[in-house]
Amino acid sequence: MSNDLIIKDLQAKIDDKEILKGVNLTVQHGSVHAIMGPNGGGKSTLAHVIAGHPSYTVTGGEIWYKGQNVLELDIDERSKLGLFLAFQYPVAVPGVTVANFLRAAINAHRAEAGKDPKTTSIPVAQFRKQLREGMAALEMDEAFARRYLNEGFSGGEKKRLEILQMTMLAPTMAVMDETDSGLDIDALRIVAGGVNRLAGPQMGALVITHYQRLLDYIKPQFVSVMMDGRFVREGGPELALELEEKGYDWLREELTGAA
Amino acid sequence: MTTSLTLKDMTAEQIVALSVAAGEPDWLTERRREAWAFFAQAAPPEWRRTNLSGLNPEALVPTQAPQGTAIQWDAELAGSGVVFTTMAAALRSHEALIKAKMDTAVVPLDHKFSALRAALWQDGAFLYVPKGVAIDMPLRVCYTLADANQAIFPRTLVILEDNASVTLIEEFTSHNHVAAALAGPVTEILAGPGSSIRFSSVQHWGAGVYHIGGQKVVLGRDASIEWTSVSLGGQVQHVEAEARLEGNGSQVHWLGATFGNGTQNLVIAPWLRHVGYNAESFMQFKTVVNDSAYSVFDGMIKIEHESKATSTRLEEHALHLSPKARNDSIPGLKIDTNDVLKGGHASTSGDVDDTQLFYMQARGIKRDDARRMIVMGFFEPALNRIPVEALRDELTGIIEGKI
Repeated sequence: MSNDLIIKDLQAKIDDKEILKGVNLTVQHGSVHAIMGPNGGGKSTLAHVIAGHPSYTVTGGEIWYKGQNVLELDIDERSKLGLFLAFQYPVAVPGVTVANFLRAAINAHRAEAGKDPKTTSIPVAQFRKQLREGMAALEMDEAFARRYLNEGFSGGEKKRLEILQMTMLAPTMAVMDETDSGLDIDALRIVAGGVNRLAGPQMGALVITHYQRLLDYIKPQFVSVMMDGRFVREGGPELALELEEKGYDWLREELTGAA
Repeated sequence: MTTSLTLKDMTAEQIVALSVAAGEPDWLTERRREAWAFFAQAAPPEWRRTNLSGLNPEALVPTQAPQGTAIQWDAELAGSGVVFTTMAAALRSHEALIKAKMDTAVVPLDHKFSALRAALWQDGAFLYVPKGVAIDMPLRVCYTLADANQAIFPRTLVILEDNASVTLIEEFTSHNHVAAALAGPVTEILAGPGSSIRFSSVQHWGAGVYHIGGQKVVLGRDASIEWTSVSLGGQVQHVEAEARLEGNGSQVHWLGATFGNGTQNLVIAPWLRHVGYNAESFMQFKTVVNDSAYSVFDGMIKIEHESKATSTRLEEHALHLSPKARNDSIPGLKIDTNDVLKGGHASTSGDVDDTQLFYMQARGIKRDDARRMIVMGFFEPALNRIPVEALRDELTGIIEGKI
């Protein structure tokens, strides 16, 4: 049983459009692995397919994590297995407060088959303490907990809430989908700080980004480049710097030239 | 006024005799006689969206008062001049006030059912809050139906003097009745200048009840109402409700929550009628339908010609939990003046949002639980305004059972 996230020859489409055309990737447990690449290359699709978004149809390949065939699991089961998707566009749910949502999510993780949920749910005092500490670390006001989930939130507030959820659910593998989009430098620093506190032996991270900027704050050990539904290059942090300097066109030319 | 006759066997003479025997004042006996005469000759209303085919009013027995009325308050409030009692008791203690105020907001001879209610109303609740008195604790009146084949016609009459403020819950509840029963309640709220009321009307009858009600609120200068209308129970509901912004600067903030499941047919027709200057209103009704239920929102904003600088907004939102369930939204806006400050309308309708479900499932919450949370969240702003936690919890349980 491997605690690495292993993706083999993954193919997926939305409607009738092929997006992923044979993705192979291993994210080592406890590592930070960045995925870069031009828009439309399939980065966000990969994140959604890992999480189980129903709009995408997997037409081939496998995803394995902790000895489980992830593609056979329901969406909520993937979360309970330790996978976490930080959304690029977090969804508003009016009438459901941040606190109630978080408590429901934590209790869903703590639930055990055949046991009364009352016996497994998080004690109120413990939940409040965790929530308070999590919010303080992300410089969030306490009133935040009583607001409706993502409703009327600024871009920065939404991303902080994603990191707060990640903190409280303590996943072992986080997939961060363009977490830097829509953030100013201050918010980026806070959000990246939240990720850095968690990433390490307890949590691996697959960090998807279009820009090198985020990688100044979250240091990856590995960088993979995705174009047109496939990974085309893998390297260390220096690859991200090279892409920042030269853009993606040289890589595309090199690849088409080689073909 | 008590009787054991079915509606079919009742006559105008009996109505008069019963009223006299109950010791009611002459003017009330006369109003009943007049209403009954109207009822007897009026054709049934043509309510295309309200299915009354399962109701046979003639077989119903108007019930004996007053076992169906429960009034909860703190008797110490009487020291500040507040009156909260049954209508029967109030007719003895405050006859002149009732004579002067009752039926000034509602129109008794509007249609067959309104006339029936005016002819046969038994008991109910009377609330009087004197000038400047503010009551913090929520007052409650609860109407129940003991048996099937009964009909009840309770009256709620609320009179707020200048700058009074109060919180009132009006509740309709019963066990499940297999055979049809009829509830024909009438609620009148007369809010004097500067007064304010938080009013929750909560209909959670058991199965089998036909609820054909009328509610009307008249707001004086700078008076305000925070109105919450909850419609959950019964077989059929047909409620005509209106807030009349009579006074300058009056305000209405009105939230509705309707949930039909099974074969329920729940119709609500809330109206905002703007008459005064600089009045503000907001109406937001939310509807959930499941199974093969049919619900109707027939809302209207009427801006009368004498009004000026009205600000108003109407929203209605519907969630469908089953492909067989239906909801008709028929919002209307009639403007008879050219002096409106703001007027807006928004409407949504559809299934539970897949992106919301995915987002919640991606956090480990099971699909059914996510759905339940989304529906509860949909109603949260309205439920959150129910000022008694135990009732809020009870309604939450009822709603969860309908999802």
